[in-house]
Amino acid sequence: MDVAGSSRRTRQPLINTIAPERSSGRFSVGMPTHFLSSGDTIDVMPAQPTFRSVLGKGFRLIGRFIRLQPWSFGLAVAGAMLFAASILAAARVIGWVIDEVIFPTLDGGAEPAPLLKTAVLLVFAVAGVKAVGIMGRRVGAGWMQLRNAQGLRFRVVNHILRMDMDWYSKRPVGDMLSVVSADVAFTTQLLAPLPFSIASLILLIGSSGQVLAIDPLLGTIVAVFLASVVALQLRASWVVFQMFTELQRTRGQVAAIAYESFDGALTVKALGREAEETARMDERSGCMRDQQARLVQVGESYRSAVRAVPSIAAVVIITVGALQVLSDVLTLGDVVSVAYLLSLLFWPIQLVGFVIFSFAASTAGWDRVAGILDGEAYVAHGEDVSSGEGGAASIEVSDVSFSYVDDEPVLTDLNLEVPPGRVVAIVGPTASGKTTLAVLLARLWDPRSGVIRLDKRDLVGMAEGVLPDEMAYASQDTYLFDDTVKGNITLGLDIPDADVTTAIELANAGELVASLPDGIETRIGERAYALSGGQRQRIALARALVRRPRLLILDDATSAVDPSVETAILRGLRSAELPSTVVIIAYRSSSISLSDEVFYIDGGNVVARGTHEELLATQPGYATLLTAYESAGEGA
Amino acid sequence: MSDKGSGAASVLVKTLREVPAFTKGVGLTLGFVALGSGVELIPPILVQRVIDNVDTFSKGVLYQWGGLALAGVILSALASRAGRTRLAVAAAHGLHDIRVMTFGRLHQRSILHTQEQRRGALVARVTADIDAIQRFFDWGGVGLLVGLARVLFTMTLMFLLSWKLAALVGATTALYVFLLIKFQKVLGRAHDRARGSVANAMAIAGEAVSGVPTIRAHGAEKHILGRLSKALEREFWSDFKARVMGNALFATAELYSGSITAGVVVVGVLLGIQDAFTAGELVAFMLLVALLVDPLQTMVETIDSMQSAAAGLRRIFKVLDADIEVSDPGESGTPLPAGGFGVAATGVSFAYGDGPDVLSDIDVAVGAGQRIAVVGETGSGKTTFSKLVVRLMEPKAGQISLAGIPIDRIPFKSLRSRVTFVPQEGFLMDGTVLTNVQFGKPAATRDEVRKAFDDLGLGAWLDGLSDGLDSEVGERGAKLSAGERQLVALTRAWIVNPDLLVLDEATSAVDPALELQLRDALNRLLEGRTSLTVAHRLSTAQAADAVLVFDQGQLVERGTHVELVAAGGIYTKMFEDWMAGTTSSA
Repeated sequence: MDVAGSSRRTRQPLINTIAPERSSGRFSVGMPTHFLSSGDTIDVMPAQPTFRSVLGKGFRLIGRFIRLQPWSFGLAVAGAMLFAASILAAARVIGWVIDEVIFPTLDGGAEPAPLLKTAVLLVFAVAGVKAVGIMGRRVGAGWMQLRNAQGLRFRVVNHILRMDMDWYSKRPVGDMLSVVSADVAFTTQLLAPLPFSIASLILLIGSSGQVLAIDPLLGTIVAVFLASVVALQLRASWVVFQMFTELQRTRGQVAAIAYESFDGALTVKALGREAEETARMDERSGCMRDQQARLVQVGESYRSAVRAVPSIAAVVIITVGALQVLSDVLTLGDVVSVAYLLSLLFWPIQLVGFVIFSFAASTAGWDRVAGILDGEAYVAHGEDVSSGEGGAASIEVSDVSFSYVDDEPVLTDLNLEVPPGRVVAIVGPTASGKTTLAVLLARLWDPRSGVIRLDKRDLVGMAEGVLPDEMAYASQDTYLFDDTVKGNITLGLDIPDADVTTAIELANAGELVASLPDGIETRIGERAYALSGGQRQRIALARALVRRPRLLILDDATSAVDPSVETAILRGLRSAELPSTVVIIAYRSSSISLSDEVFYIDGGNVVARGTHEELLATQPGYATLLTAYESAGEGA
Repeated sequence: MSDKGSGAASVLVKTLREVPAFTKGVGLTLGFVALGSGVELIPPILVQRVIDNVDTFSKGVLYQWGGLALAGVILSALASRAGRTRLAVAAAHGLHDIRVMTFGRLHQRSILHTQEQRRGALVARVTADIDAIQRFFDWGGVGLLVGLARVLFTMTLMFLLSWKLAALVGATTALYVFLLIKFQKVLGRAHDRARGSVANAMAIAGEAVSGVPTIRAHGAEKHILGRLSKALEREFWSDFKARVMGNALFATAELYSGSITAGVVVVGVLLGIQDAFTAGELVAFMLLVALLVDPLQTMVETIDSMQSAAAGLRRIFKVLDADIEVSDPGESGTPLPAGGFGVAATGVSFAYGDGPDVLSDIDVAVGAGQRIAVVGETGSGKTTFSKLVVRLMEPKAGQISLAGIPIDRIPFKSLRSRVTFVPQEGFLMDGTVLTNVQFGKPAATRDEVRKAFDDLGLGAWLDGLSDGLDSEVGERGAKLSAGERQLVALTRAWIVNPDLLVLDEATSAVDPALELQLRDALNRLLEGRTSLTVAHRLSTAQAADAVLVFDQGQLVERGTHVELVAAGGIYTKMFEDWMAGTTSSA
């Protein structure tokens, strides 16, 4: 049965998807098909963020990141200070050059030579210091941003791997991936402009001070203009933030349409619905286009105002300054130096609000990152480190009940035990709970009540790593990693090539692997050599077999393999005398007849147990299920 | 990935040419952008006027100049706003058009279903790739254009002030830009490497997240986290290196600006001594030099996003420029006649891309109203054959015809309403059972949908769902089991009321008893229509009018079940295996 359709779930491109609304509802009975799919709505944004809450969260976020990378932050801020100082110095130097070099020589006819050299040196020195400041600031900020992103990504994935299946199954994989890539990027994005913004703020205060020192009137004018810029920026950040959030949501919907539509491409084509699908995309994408356009219109109004402020200030300063020169309060050098300073502020001034603007995207991203990191549904591990003795393991399932969703029981008070070394088959109609039983045995989920024991040890009480050492589980849907055949089979275990080859032979994949260009060293997976469903299943089977598990669970693990090959594999397993207890879930009588005992399951419980022949003779439902073809064949 | 740095400009030009929305009204836009340069250029002019005439100016004249300049700045700011807005809005329109064009083209082409493993990557054509272009516009594309305009006007103003000094500045700037372009290639390669390592780290993170059940079942957490940790470390260093290089380049713009300022002071003063130059002009010049730095730094900053955008565009054009493998003859074609019809294949061969033939030289004719079973091992070509019969793909050689009409002459409108194909996947969209069935026939009413389920004997199953027809199926139908998804997919095909129904393992996940029930229902419903059923389970073949046996891309046997069992060939062997599998060993 379908465990999650993971083979069809092609790798999600790492785009910035914000999950669209989803309604929760009926889960399929007995089938954990929602392993990888969504169940519940996941809050994308906290309800109605306010300017204050975003601001507060943004500062806390910055604090957190600074604490993690204090040295690079220090370097960046030092560089930024140097940069700010060099801009102020540049204005002073220009003022000095005008007053001491240009006017005396051009208007006064003085000899330029001695001071010209100093002027050149000063200009160069200031440029050099500025360049050093830029390097320090940007390198520090880059290190801080990238290191934090790297750490955060690792933490998120690590956390996901520690959460239990109930937690995991409620989150769409694409959504979690978009947290790992896009939201982490958004979260850390405010770190890049942070030092520059700090520098810009210092610069604005510093320039007001510097101008104030030259002339109180001009200083006041500059301070007023710069304050108005900061106010404009804050206002713009907030307005744009809200529009931006809306835009991101639509972007998620556009991505969702693309996924779904491409995933169903064959159906779309077979039913001739290409034009309708394109119209569906056109509508959402058009909405995104319009939102983008509105965002630009509003955003540009603010930005143009912000850009115009230094020029307006310069014009006012020059005019007022010239009046001051006329009344002999100031020199022309003073006025020009102030105008020059303003021209140097064109770019930094636009960046003051930038961090505030990034607050929006970053806190929204952080909310989603925190949504994962705050998950507390850790897989519980016990203390029991004892390992099972010798060969095959025994299984004991006592009074196990299970449901994926409350009030929709899948298994009720199920009991079964399997002595060591037995091969048992679990048989039942669609949606009877077979796969659920298998995933409980593999401890992907835990029973709601009741106990499962492997050699008298409660699965829940086992220490981390004990169960995977003794149990192997292969399902219908196989997940292959982008790695070599060997890497996919060993999954990091140190296993000699000869054993890998043996497992491949047992899984009837010898010919297949031999035909690959580099044998077991061939890269497989989505981005390399693509294998068919049956071929993938055989590699996954080898992955289970190579572990020489004491308990082997095969959940329809050969469904995509031709019947004759399947029979060969199962016969091989029997004759290989693996020290295993084997649990097989299958429909085909050929597979079932190889088992020592069959558990016939229906409606979430064991209806009957016995050999295949016994059940055929005594259980009419069982017989109908498995001999449908035979009787039909006779009738035809 | 062909993220070559070279040719970024040419692909951008091609985009502007092929997507008219980008360049709509561009003349006016550029006019606004040009006027917008006044915001930065007016203060230096005012400075020059004031310095050179301050002795002769009265307060009144000064106010006049000041007022004029202020009005100029404000008007320029308005023009700048109009220009930038128009640019960005045009970009939004252009990107939407590219997205929809690419999306539509991908659906028209066959790669989505012939190269299933690439689907994830193809989604990126209409999402991530276009986002990259958007980022380019947001983070520099518009700024770059505006900056170019500013450089142009600044240089013009400089020439008006002093052609000698302007020539000095121009020559130095040209040299610097030349060096930038040289170094940009090196930087571009560093960014390429960084992008590659980012993609790799994200792919590994993606595996860790989507493979959780597999990782947990095998206790492979440490192994996977180790891989991720290594990939993230590589990502960090390649990204950091590219940034340091970019930063160094960025910082050199300051040195360039410093040397030009120094040069202007020295040469200006010396020229001024020869009375070629006033103090005001020289000072204005120095202010103008400062305006040249920003656009150059923007250029450095934009290299990365421009290359990402160009790489995205190149991948998009690969989709748009390729021919549609299966094209609609449209109005000029011949629609299918009314009533049932037969299927014929003559000399049909097929290969995926340049690969080996997966079907070779198939000749077969199926009469109207026949029920055909197609069998063979995995990889025998039976699914390929069934897709060719409904023209989901085009044969490499030979021809398929329906009702005697070559299939490539039948308009899609006629073909898709008379011929239906049901693939194995049972693909459902997020929505209800009802909306999914209506996907096959949008006009179908609730009652019609209900009747379709009843026709197939699935009424009881439907009633067992929590909300009947209105039950949510979840994303990709995940709330239903694989077998249940197939039931909905089958009903969706049936409601189209086709004259030719092609089923490709369409009931493979349904339990044996239910499958037989469906087969009986279909046999009853399809009376007089043609059907082609690809099946793993040979029970289907037993009930068919004729069986086609495929082996290694060849049609090796054909006949009735009884004939073929007696023939002692491949089919006989398959049937024995099958019987051994289904028969109880008692």
